[in-house]
Amino acid sequence: MDTTLSETQRLLRDSLRDYLSNEVPFDRIRELEREGGADQTLWEYLAGAGFLGLPFTEAHGGEGGELTDTAVVLEELTRRACVIPFLETTASALAIERHGDEALAGEVVRGVISGAMTIAPALQGATPANGAAPRVEGGALTGERRFVDYGAEVTHHLVEATENGEPGLYLIETAADGVATESLSTIARTPLAHCTYDGAPARRAGGAEALQFLRRAGRALCAVQCLGNAQQALDMTVEYVGMRVQFGRPIGSFQAVQHHCANMATQTLSARFLTYRAVWCVDQGIATDREIAKAKALASRAGTEVTMQAHILFGGIGYTEEYDLHFFSRHGKERALAWGSAEECLRIAADTLDEVQPWQ
Amino acid sequence: MEFGWNEELEAFRDEVRAFLQEFDTPALRKELANRGEAAQLDPEQTRLREALEDRGWVRMCWPEELGGEGKSQWFQFVMTEEFAKREVPYGSGFGTMVGPAIHRFGTEAQREKYLPGIWANDITICLGYSEPNAGTDLAALETLAVKDGDDWLINGQKLWTSAADTASHVWLACRTDPEAPKHRGISTFIVPMDTPGISVRPIMTMSGGRTNEVFFEDVRVPSDALIGEVNQGWYIIANALDHERVWIGAGGGLRHIFDRLMAHVREKRPELLEDDVVRRRLVELELDLDVMEGLVLTNASIVASGDTPTMEASMSKIWTSELRYHISDVAMDLLGHEGALTEDADGFAPLDGELERTYRASPIQRFGGGANEVQRDIIARRGLGLPRH
Repeated sequence: MDTTLSETQRLLRDSLRDYLSNEVPFDRIRELEREGGADQTLWEYLAGAGFLGLPFTEAHGGEGGELTDTAVVLEELTRRACVIPFLETTASALAIERHGDEALAGEVVRGVISGAMTIAPALQGATPANGAAPRVEGGALTGERRFVDYGAEVTHHLVEATENGEPGLYLIETAADGVATESLSTIARTPLAHCTYDGAPARRAGGAEALQFLRRAGRALCAVQCLGNAQQALDMTVEYVGMRVQFGRPIGSFQAVQHHCANMATQTLSARFLTYRAVWCVDQGIATDREIAKAKALASRAGTEVTMQAHILFGGIGYTEEYDLHFFSRHGKERALAWGSAEECLRIAADTLDEVQPWQ
Repeated sequence: MEFGWNEELEAFRDEVRAFLQEFDTPALRKELANRGEAAQLDPEQTRLREALEDRGWVRMCWPEELGGEGKSQWFQFVMTEEFAKREVPYGSGFGTMVGPAIHRFGTEAQREKYLPGIWANDITICLGYSEPNAGTDLAALETLAVKDGDDWLINGQKLWTSAADTASHVWLACRTDPEAPKHRGISTFIVPMDTPGISVRPIMTMSGGRTNEVFFEDVRVPSDALIGEVNQGWYIIANALDHERVWIGAGGGLRHIFDRLMAHVREKRPELLEDDVVRRRLVELELDLDVMEGLVLTNASIVASGDTPTMEASMSKIWTSELRYHISDVAMDLLGHEGALTEDADGFAPLDGELERTYRASPIQRFGGGANEVQRDIIARRGLGLPRH
């Protein structure tokens, strides 16, 4: 048991943090919000610097690292409000590598590591607002998926679909005939698509196990994004209230403000433990849906409550578009809802209350 | 990062379980159930404590300079957890806090005089810190120790001195320089409770437990009752508190309350589980316990990596103490009027009255041991670096 970062993880975090603070100004994020699309320049940097290969096996050209390494990277990216399909691509490729079609795995993982291939999971999410469930017949996929993160920006979709009544994951090219994406505007202003498939050529990438892994990995990694938003808002708040002077002294010297900060820090730190443990358990193959749902519920709340409390402590300046705080409160709320909201996750936990075992 | 247990710790866990299998006897249970005023005299608990001492488990994680083996703090954690799972108490009370202070600040003669007795639990200790005018602001304490020839003469009053009626010694903080700034005029003494001039008056609390006020009237103690330098007391106290913080519990039985609540609902009130709102409230309690586990393990991990938690320890203290209130409150509420029954309502009280007992005893967890408001100050100032006013 060791909740502290490993030496490798510290290096990953620090080097990426340096790069992002120098090369990805928040005005870059504003530009992407206006113009749409993902940050291709950043993606190329991540590929070149080896960040995309962290969790994959050495046999496929990866680093053979832990999934928590990837989570550390994801948290840093989140703390800079980066607009790239890092979670989506990593989780998809990992699901194929670990539990999917072996022949396809090498091609997909190498494609991802090189930076050329990006993948969006198009699953039946926790939110039942999807259209006709996709089906595959004779290698062609037809149906609809809503809420596909980066659906229009990625090179491939990994679609949950049934073939002869059996669920599975199917890889399709976004550019293929029969694939249509329509952008959906969200509070985060990051790419989200409603996707329609009409006989799109599909390759089977994995079965029920791969699907289950993808759901779990996606939800656990999304919890990391919630956490990253909370941590960033907390750190910005502590810095700001320590410096902002009213009534002749920093407002951070008032106990009322301090106690808010103390509560925000407690919520963030406890979500940190449960989030990283969930990622670790997914990596070890010992995760349960119930435990991951509980971790996501807590992280969702932290990403929402801590970022919105930050606004209250910042006052007017934090409310403006020019200031950077809103990236984290808006992203924090959207990520709180993605891959299962707190309420949806709690329903999963409540429905499986029978699984609760006494402490022993 | 690693969220599992290595083989060495798993093997140790098995050892502790086997140990408990052997010592957690019906006789011990009976003794614990009848735990009275002189718990340390109970033979089964003494047998258990001696066996623990024989195995060297009590101080295995302490630094070698404090007489320990310097093992990873995870061993202590695993042992604490296994004892907590079976609800078997262990440890020698405040001795585990005061012993290291004597070891570090006392003379060679004082170590020889006190430490073996403390480790063997022949010397039991109560803490003479709080006073009527020195609670959260402990450094305002006024009990006066004046040099009189080679001796010290002590006059004053201590309050909330739990175990003063059973302890053999008091670890006493006194003012030795009334002119100095308040943190710099305090010294620490160890004083036998049977010294003439000491009187103890009981104070019963709403939890049903007893605490005391202790009066010191011309209490004469020899010069070697002073531990450390004159006026070094505040530093010694702070050091002892740090050591106390390093001792990490495993959630104080809150998991058991939840488990027993679940068992009660499943067996006696199954209709509640048909209600989605009830199920959701139970899951919320489970989440609160998950948070507690996360904070406890984060603390333990910091200690095991050789650092001292500051704000993390405060977070854990706040969360655990507030949860103790909250879990009993919610559980009583879910059960309705039967939640109010005490253990004396034989056969009727849910969880044998544990919910009512826990609820009633919960305030001290929140205001005691450093009030939660002070803990939040510590998080903000020492942890997050926010300015003082």
